[in-house]
Amino acid sequence: MSYVEIKDMEIAFSTPRGKFIAVKNINLEIGKGEIVSIIGHSGCGKSTIMNAIGGMVTPTKGTVTIQGKAIKGPGPDRGIVFQNYSLLPWLSVYENIFQAVDAALQTTSEVDKREIVEKYIRMVGLSAHREKLPKQISGGMKQRVAIARAFAINPDVLLLDEPFGALDALTKGSMHIELLKLWNLDNRSKTIVMVTHDIEEAIFLSDKIVVMTDGPSATIREIEDVHLPRPRNKKDIVNMPEYKTIRERLLSLLMDKVEIDATDFYKGPKVELV
Amino acid sequence: MKSQTIATDIELESSEVATRIWDNNLVKKLTAFGQSSAFTLGGFGILLLIWYIISKITTDALPGPYATLSVLWEMLKDPFYDYGPNDKGIALQLFSSLGKVFLGFGLGSLVAIPVGIVMGANAFCKKLFYPIVQILKPVSPLAWFPIGLAVFQSAGTATIFIIFITSLWSTLINTAFGVGSIPDDHKNVAKAFGFSTRRYITKILIPYSLPHIITGLRLSISVAWLVIVAGEMLSGGLGIGFFVWDSWNALSLEKVISAILIIGLVGLLLDRLFTLLEKRFSYAS
Repeated sequence: MSYVEIKDMEIAFSTPRGKFIAVKNINLEIGKGEIVSIIGHSGCGKSTIMNAIGGMVTPTKGTVTIQGKAIKGPGPDRGIVFQNYSLLPWLSVYENIFQAVDAALQTTSEVDKREIVEKYIRMVGLSAHREKLPKQISGGMKQRVAIARAFAINPDVLLLDEPFGALDALTKGSMHIELLKLWNLDNRSKTIVMVTHDIEEAIFLSDKIVVMTDGPSATIREIEDVHLPRPRNKKDIVNMPEYKTIRERLLSLLMDKVEIDATDFYKGPKVELV
Repeated sequence: MKSQTIATDIELESSEVATRIWDNNLVKKLTAFGQSSAFTLGGFGILLLIWYIISKITTDALPGPYATLSVLWEMLKDPFYDYGPNDKGIALQLFSSLGKVFLGFGLGSLVAIPVGIVMGANAFCKKLFYPIVQILKPVSPLAWFPIGLAVFQSAGTATIFIIFITSLWSTLINTAFGVGSIPDDHKNVAKAFGFSTRRYITKILIPYSLPHIITGLRLSISVAWLVIVAGEMLSGGLGIGFFVWDSWNALSLEKVISAILIIGLVGLLLDRLFTLLEKRFSYAS
């Protein structure tokens, strides 16, 4: 039996204009310790699937289970990193993490909680910025705070909603490595589900890539397994044939036309190039 | 590690830039202050001139600036004198009014903030209470004075009562708006990490709505300061409003105009005080 199981799930919202089906016929199995990316165009219900695992939305049909138990709302066994970091702007870096830890880990003692927060602040390299407010740090740092916050409650499942979407390419690259580092430090025991737009990111991080059809009423189009060896190195894997095959496959699934043909060129009056 | 050193470098650079910007800002601020002072003085100059002309035209039926300012000076020279119940110094009158305003305003806020929070957080309560607020808000607080008299059998308490009523509405509406507009992002954090109600209120609801609440308080106290003058004219006793009415009865328009100046200045100070609080508690995401 898989760790996370989604069976025949449909999620619909009632709107003033009637029922809106976001996703339907979703069947997905995720093993413990797997990293799974959900990829697709905007509005294809990627985040909806993640929110269903997170317990933020309830399926209208079908079931979502973790270790065979149905999900009834959010819980500290699942840590969420929101799309826009969602740090509380009036709390310092330290307090943002501490409040989450303090709320989620109810049986842990105060001293232990403080220690946990310290540990994760150190792990994401923000010790020097612990007393700063979110507005005083960069986007990459905010993302690290959000990731530290999600890791610090020691969840079994980590849900990342387009976690690196707003970051520049360099910061993104180092964040990928930080994420894998944290995952390794926990002996790869945490299951990570990530929503992304970025094909390279999905291949580099994932064991499994879920490609969605376009919404509304989106469903899973294909699930690609990524067998690249770990630990992965960005420079090395891009030259592996497997990487290229998957990349081609994903590109052709996500884009109807990968090449620009002659008919797409500008056909206005001819301009003389000097 | 690498990303850390890069971050520190960027910070160093930006702190240098910040110093330069700060110097520039200081110069800009000083010029802006000079300009606005010049405008303020210019405006008051024009006002004084018009006042002077009107007083000349009416052959001193309206006392001129000089006569008024010398009376004001007399008042300010001995602000704490106390010659019996109907003859007290201007500072004593002012403190009496401020005391009543703060008492009524404090009580009003104690009611308005919790009710506002409930209205903002709960759609049912909002639907239930909002029509009442809409009907009662436009009523002049002075209309409540007879009810205050009937209930409390005391003009002083009735004055505090109308200030209480006055202080409710702006605070209530702003609080409800602030609480009602908490972004889903913040609510989701609370949901995802299992915040208790207590933690949600103290770490999300209050910090988010505090700037809105303080704006409400600022508007409330401005109106309360408007209403106290009229209230004290009705109630008599002690206070700046009573002082205005008493001076009119004693046919001293100089004192009336002096009191108007003082009332205006105090109102301005109250407003500034709450603007400072607003700035102190606002945050940028």
